[in-house]
Amino acid sequence: MYDIIIIGAGPGGYVAAERAGKLGKSVLIVEKEYLGGVCLNRGCIPTKTLLNSTKLYKQARNSAPYGVHAGNVSFDWEEAMSWKNEVVETQRKGVSFLMKENNVDVLNGIADLLEGKRISVDGKIYEGENIIISTGSSNFIPSVPGSKGANILTSDEILDLEKLPKSIAVIGGGVIGMEFASLFSNLGIKVDVIEMMDEIIPMMDKDHARVMRREMKGVDFHLSSQLLKIEGKKLTYLFNEKEESLEAELVLMAVGRRPNTAGLENTGLDINKGKIVVNEKMQTNLPGIYAVGDVTGLSMLAHSASRMGEVAVNNICGIQDRMRYNAVPWAVYTSPEAAGCGMTESEAFAVGRKVKTASVLMKHNGRFMAEHGKTAAGICKVVVDKETEVLLGVHLIGGISSELVAGAAAMIESELRVNEIKQIIFPHPSLSEVIRDAVWAIKEE
Amino acid sequence: MADQILMPKLGNSVEECLITEWLKNEGDTITVGEVICTVETDKAAVDVEASAAGVILKILYPVGEEVPVLKPIVIVGEPGEDISHVDTSVTDDAPSKTKTDSVNISIPGDTLLKPVSVSETTIKNTNTGFSSPRARNLASAEGIDISTASGTGPSGRIIERDILKLSSGYAPASAAAIDKMLGSGGVRPAVGSGIGGRVLSSDITSVSMGSNVASIAETREVPVKGIRKIISDLMLKSLNTSAQLTLNSSANAENLLRLRKRLKNSSESLGLNRISVNDLVMFAVVRTLKDYPEVNAHFLGDKIIQYENVNLGIAVDTERGLMVPVVKNVQNLSLKDFASGNRAVYDRINSNTILPDELTGATFTVTNLGGLGIESFTPVLNIPEVAILGVNNIQLKPVKKDDEVVFESFIGLSLTFNHQAMDGAPAARYLQSLSHNIKDIDLLIAI
Repeated sequence: MYDIIIIGAGPGGYVAAERAGKLGKSVLIVEKEYLGGVCLNRGCIPTKTLLNSTKLYKQARNSAPYGVHAGNVSFDWEEAMSWKNEVVETQRKGVSFLMKENNVDVLNGIADLLEGKRISVDGKIYEGENIIISTGSSNFIPSVPGSKGANILTSDEILDLEKLPKSIAVIGGGVIGMEFASLFSNLGIKVDVIEMMDEIIPMMDKDHARVMRREMKGVDFHLSSQLLKIEGKKLTYLFNEKEESLEAELVLMAVGRRPNTAGLENTGLDINKGKIVVNEKMQTNLPGIYAVGDVTGLSMLAHSASRMGEVAVNNICGIQDRMRYNAVPWAVYTSPEAAGCGMTESEAFAVGRKVKTASVLMKHNGRFMAEHGKTAAGICKVVVDKETEVLLGVHLIGGISSELVAGAAAMIESELRVNEIKQIIFPHPSLSEVIRDAVWAIKEE
Repeated sequence: MADQILMPKLGNSVEECLITEWLKNEGDTITVGEVICTVETDKAAVDVEASAAGVILKILYPVGEEVPVLKPIVIVGEPGEDISHVDTSVTDDAPSKTKTDSVNISIPGDTLLKPVSVSETTIKNTNTGFSSPRARNLASAEGIDISTASGTGPSGRIIERDILKLSSGYAPASAAAIDKMLGSGGVRPAVGSGIGGRVLSSDITSVSMGSNVASIAETREVPVKGIRKIISDLMLKSLNTSAQLTLNSSANAENLLRLRKRLKNSSESLGLNRISVNDLVMFAVVRTLKDYPEVNAHFLGDKIIQYENVNLGIAVDTERGLMVPVVKNVQNLSLKDFASGNRAVYDRINSNTILPDELTGATFTVTNLGGLGIESFTPVLNIPEVAILGVNNIQLKPVKKDDEVVFESFIGLSLTFNHQAMDGAPAARYLQSLSHNIKDIDLLIAI
């Protein structure tokens, strides 16, 4: 009998296991593949490693304005891939070490959830006081004619790609699609993005999304376009009620991910539209059974999953905690990077909340100009409540935006107001100053 | 020569009154008997009438100030009169002379007490509702509901340390949340929805800020003050500090209705025409209480005081809100005297001439929602009383008589009692006796 059994060792599951172990609970974690889940093995970490290689390549080729002349710059995909594998394996060992250090039992296999807070793995039954389901999500492939072809990949397979293509079509302009579009375009490969909505990356500020499309010069965007069929290298899509087509050697399917709830249908769990329904304590409808991360369909981000795991563990251990979604930061590691936290202007408008906004251009920031030149795109936009001047959202594109957004999350979580943020000291010269400058740019009424 | 209008002495137990509203301004001309302001005691809201005529030269206290009784509150005189010589600091009858420790319970002097007299220490625990300005400022800055503090100052006054003690159990609030509390007068929860339980501005009121903007514009803000404030404090305190529950029953009302009909149609010279069903039920309540001293009692925490006399509180719905006038020493009154005493009290309530002392000292309370079609409800105890009777509407019920079923009228009775003070069985026995007495009301009035 374990205190807690965790199904799935992604960032939701393994962080929950680590925290629970630290609190002295007996924990069993079951993983069908690798510790670290999609994030570590086929998501966040490998893509960031490869993106970094392509960014270095791009920088090396564009460093002349800064006095650096690199001759014969070349890119070796195989070497980049082996560095990626090394990073992933090292990180995986890190998770394994964390489990050991916190006395977590790790079991490799597929868990079946049984009645009475029991699971079976390879025919053996394990019982827990509590169960945390963190089974994650899987790539979803839309059923269009030709979508089963050999040149059709998802983010899973593309990370094992042996040879770079001459051209690639990315179906879906979300975070995953845009990062791979950026990766290949950094290498000078022709990229087409087909997106059904009228803009890329839905959580992004609309102005910033336009800037990102403009800055990704090697990528052709086909917005408001619906993929109809794939015939070999030819992709046919519907745009403005007309059929159009383009050619690409490879096709990346990145239209979205679906929660992994297979096998849970008849357990009595409340599953709505394929997502396990949870409350703010991450409790499901079954007593003692929790669900965290992508399988809940709420905020499908690794760091949200980790936080949900902590919330579940805290509630199991009798520590008051609740999951909040108003200050979950996100980041896209494209070139340029984009990141944000909190409400965008259009979200505020949609819920009828009166806000004030201010934007500053990053090129006016000393460090940004030194490192990116005089014309590089970069914007920081802040959204504050019109009446109370509480900071509601910070949205960034350009430079190392992903590293700035944690500060914004802290400010939003603490419900800081314009006048309070003005009293925070930001290091100089740093890109983070753009947040302070944007806050100062909010007009007083 | 300038005159002073004093804070009236609104009963033996009242030492200070809180000014809730000024109806006149400096410079206004007033005549004797005109209402110049409203004040609150811990029991009632009262209009203060001018005892002198002239022009108001100076208002000595702002709204929200607590003023000891018999202290000057207004200087009146001729326009432009020099008032610098007027001494407003001392009055001939300083309140300290009449100061008592008894604040909440004033029982007529001839009331027989069992088992012992009310001791000072018992009464000291009773929250007077008074607080020091420092305590109020701190409570307001911290967003703490001051009525939840228990006063440890003189006469149970809430002082700064009481608020500090209370605030130590609260999670921190964001600056934005504190501003909202101060602005809206909202009260913060002990734990909020933010990081580490931090209280955020959205925790201050239940109105969601974003999604419901249109409906916010349609709302109307009603300040909680005067009688509303008194009722809200007392009701919450009652539910917070006692173990109350309700028993429901009904009494055969055939005889009751027959008697009421006869009274109504009787000769006017007898003076019985206006005796109501409610008078009859309350008469039965009082007479039954005589046999159940444990129900006619006050629960004071470390002791229960049972009364032989019955001081009946009657809940009355008025334009200003719920008021509970008390008819005192009614246990031996005839039905006629009892009913006419009730009516006199109703008249004073309706004409707003009821005295604060007439609103205190009940030993048992009756509340009647039967006229509004209520079939059963949960009356809230008027603490420290140990029981309150809710009277419901009259309904027909099938009754087996010989070999046939006939429909007879029954009046619903809901008795809330404090389980701290007595158990279910004695409460049920009282209700059962009451039910019998109502059924045989025609015999009861003959006793």
